[in-house]
Amino acid sequence: MKQFTSMEDKLGLNKFTAFEKTHLSIKPGSDPMVVEHKLFICPAKVYELSDKGVPIVSFENCLECGTCRVAAPDEVEWAYPQGGYGVTFKFG
Amino acid sequence: MADEKFDAIVVGGGPAGLTAAYVMAKAGMQVIVVERGEYCGAKNVFGGVFFTNVLREIMPDFLKDAPIERNITKRRFSLMTPDGEIGGDFKFDRFNKDFSNNSFTVLRSKFDKWLSDKCEAAGAMIITGAVVDDFLMKDKKIAGVKARMEDGDLYGDVIVLADGVNSLLAKKLNFHKELDPKSTIIGVKEVIGLSEERIRDRFALNGNEGAAYEYFGYSAKGAIGSGFIYTNKDTISVGVGATIASMLEHKLNPNDVLEAFKNHPTVAPLVRDGEQKEYSAHLIPDGGYKKLSKLSGDNVMVVGDAAGFVNATLFHEGTNLAMETGKLAGETAIEAFKKKDYSAVSLSQYDTKVKNSFPMKDLKQFKNTGETLEHNPKMFDKYPTLFGDLVAELFTVDGEPKWNKEKRLMMKLLTSENPFALLKTMIDMRKVII
Ligand SMILES: Cc1cc2nc3c(=O)[nH]c(=O)nc-3n(C[C@H](O)[C@H](O)[C@H](O)COP(=O)(O)OP(=O)(O)OC[C@H]3O[C@@H](n4cnc5c(N)ncnc54)[C@H](O)[C@@H]3O)c2cc1C
Ligand code: SF4
Repeated sequence: MKQFTSMEDKLGLNKFTAFEKTHLSIKPGSDPMVVEHKLFICPAKVYELSDKGVPIVSFENCLECGTCRVAAPDEVEWAYPQGGYGVTFKFG
Repeated sequence: MADEKFDAIVVGGGPAGLTAAYVMAKAGMQVIVVERGEYCGAKNVFGGVFFTNVLREIMPDFLKDAPIERNITKRRFSLMTPDGEIGGDFKFDRFNKDFSNNSFTVLRSKFDKWLSDKCEAAGAMIITGAVVDDFLMKDKKIAGVKARMEDGDLYGDVIVLADGVNSLLAKKLNFHKELDPKSTIIGVKEVIGLSEERIRDRFALNGNEGAAYEYFGYSAKGAIGSGFIYTNKDTISVGVGATIASMLEHKLNPNDVLEAFKNHPTVAPLVRDGEQKEYSAHLIPDGGYKKLSKLSGDNVMVVGDAAGFVNATLFHEGTNLAMETGKLAGETAIEAFKKKDYSAVSLSQYDTKVKNSFPMKDLKQFKNTGETLEHNPKMFDKYPTLFGDLVAELFTVDGEPKWNKEKRLMMKLLTSENPFALLKTMIDMRKVII
């Protein structure tokens, strides 16, 4: 049986329905390095830095756990996605 | 729905909220549950053993149709080392006869949905796909909630906050502070498909029996955490969790920790050739007694994870504490409904009931667990490695006379670690985990 280890493949196992608008963002004025210093902890690797050092937030992959909110409360703007959207766990 | 008023509004359709709703609806109250998922359970993740002592009380015939995966008759506890484990288990046939240990594996997306159907049958109204963002106020008192949808203003006499670990709503009321990274666990899990026959053979089970394997020590790459494997009918749930603070300190990503756990030499043969089905993540409030939220105020009560009711320790209980606090809040609301008094004084009955309940008594007993583990990081790295080495050497047959070997290993133990610190850690651990 093929084993998925990459984040992309693993997230591909789940059902996601992306809403048009993001429910996550980095607060304006925050040090973008928070991505490397703290947000590496996101279990879905939603936060990345672009080549130019700008944070990219792939909100459509969010597992809605809240870890980023607790790890970086001063930098992460966090809300639940629109009801019925986001991840739907078939097993849970 | 704008001018309709409910007797009770429950925010969150997990075990805590649905229990509160069930109890209130059964007593004839007009109840509405607001759930953000596509259906109840769609957003919910846990390890895997649902403890049904409270469910049995409110619904004695639940076994007739509850979506149960397996009946847990076997539990195993192991201290993981970097390349092995020291473990022990128990298994009792009596648990097959009367299901008296109330421990069943379930999958939350099916189970919570089933519980919500029972609530509907009891007369509660359930709306799904709606996030509650705020409260509606009238004369400085909570008069309802604002759901993010058309006609989303809902009015009610009493609001039960059952919105789970992140509980943004109770925080809004200043009932508790933001979750502390040191006492909040991030858990990640995979559901992995395996045939029923394979599960029975690998875990040495008969028929519908299930096993719960818990891994302590070096199970989260040295972070303060633990791992688990629970058997479902034709899948297994495999996961790890560790405090956010210690993941940050060790610069770990939870998925990398999970991959390491699955590839550990003692775990790999149990998950081998399985078909990965789902990858999920969820927080656990692990602050226990000392971090519990304020429980009630005018027109509002907080239940389950939202208030911090989880007994992590060796027992890993959350679902039954959620149901018990949900039940007690429901009973309090029924009394308030009869008196037509939803003031803080009236609802403080909930605090009194909780104080005398098993969730509070258990959390009180283990109130120092979190801090003790935090102050003994060696339990997750150095000590398991040392114990592993000692046991491995003791059982290495190499011609060294046993008496010699035992003396030598004892010396090794006493010289490699500060024996008093080690002894203190052992005594501390005993007190806080069982
Ligand atoms: C990895 C892991 C392993 C665990 N293992 C076990 C175990 O083996 N046994 C055990 O007993 N417990 C276990 N637990 C704990 C257990 O899952 C929880 O204690 C339990 O689910 C709490 O129930 P609850 O109803 O309080 O919260 P939840 O089950 O989280 O329910 C909260 C509900 O509220 C909804 N919601 C949240 N916010 C809003 C909003 N604003 N508007 C509308 N709806 C909202 C959510 O979608 C959800 O349905 C585990 C937890 C985790 C994370
Ligand atoms: S909520 Fe969880 S999955 Fe979503 S971005 Fe934050 S840490 Fe990542």
